[in-house]
Amino acid sequence: MRDIAVVVLLSLGMGIQALCAIGVLVMEDPFDRLHFTGPAGLGVLAVAAAILVEEGLSVAGVKSLLVAVVIIVSGPVLTHATARAARIRQFGHWVPMPAEKVGD
Amino acid sequence: MAVNEWLVAAAVGLLTLVPCGIVCAKGSPIDRLVALEMAGVVDAVILLLLAQGFHRDIFFDLALALALLSLAGGLVFARFLERWV
Repeated sequence: MRDIAVVVLLSLGMGIQALCAIGVLVMEDPFDRLHFTGPAGLGVLAVAAAILVEEGLSVAGVKSLLVAVVIIVSGPVLTHATARAARIRQFGHWVPMPAEKVGD
Repeated sequence: MAVNEWLVAAAVGLLTLVPCGIVCAKGSPIDRLVALEMAGVVDAVILLLLAQGFHRDIFFDLALALALLSLAGGLVFARFLERWV
């Protein structure tokens, strides 16, 4: 039973990662590509869960969970920094343009 | 050393790196940074799988170090890509 859970979690994790990588390849615009780096954190979480199912709360399980938490927390930070850099590179600053003003 | 499901998943992970490599090779500087960040996450998963597949607990620290350093590296690249590169 445990082996089935491990194989299911592993294939789920690697499937998410593969689809995200193909998404990054297929998209043209950097902002569209950035959308596909988000779910990659879920792939890491699924693999960490598979290791937890296999090893329990041993050194290995806790460290893989820590890696998953670090990647999930750092995902949005990297995405925001990259999108901001892309926008500054495009327009010279990141402040919204008059045409893009929303809700004033 | 028998091939177990962890090493098979690590091999699939290596194949997942190919699209990231293609975008790293031919995109604009910002596209390459996005592909580098994606490859950083995939690499951390591959290191986790190899550490588990070969039953070497010491390599889990490698995946943790890679996860932290790819965060710092991505931020530094993003900062310099804004204006100076």
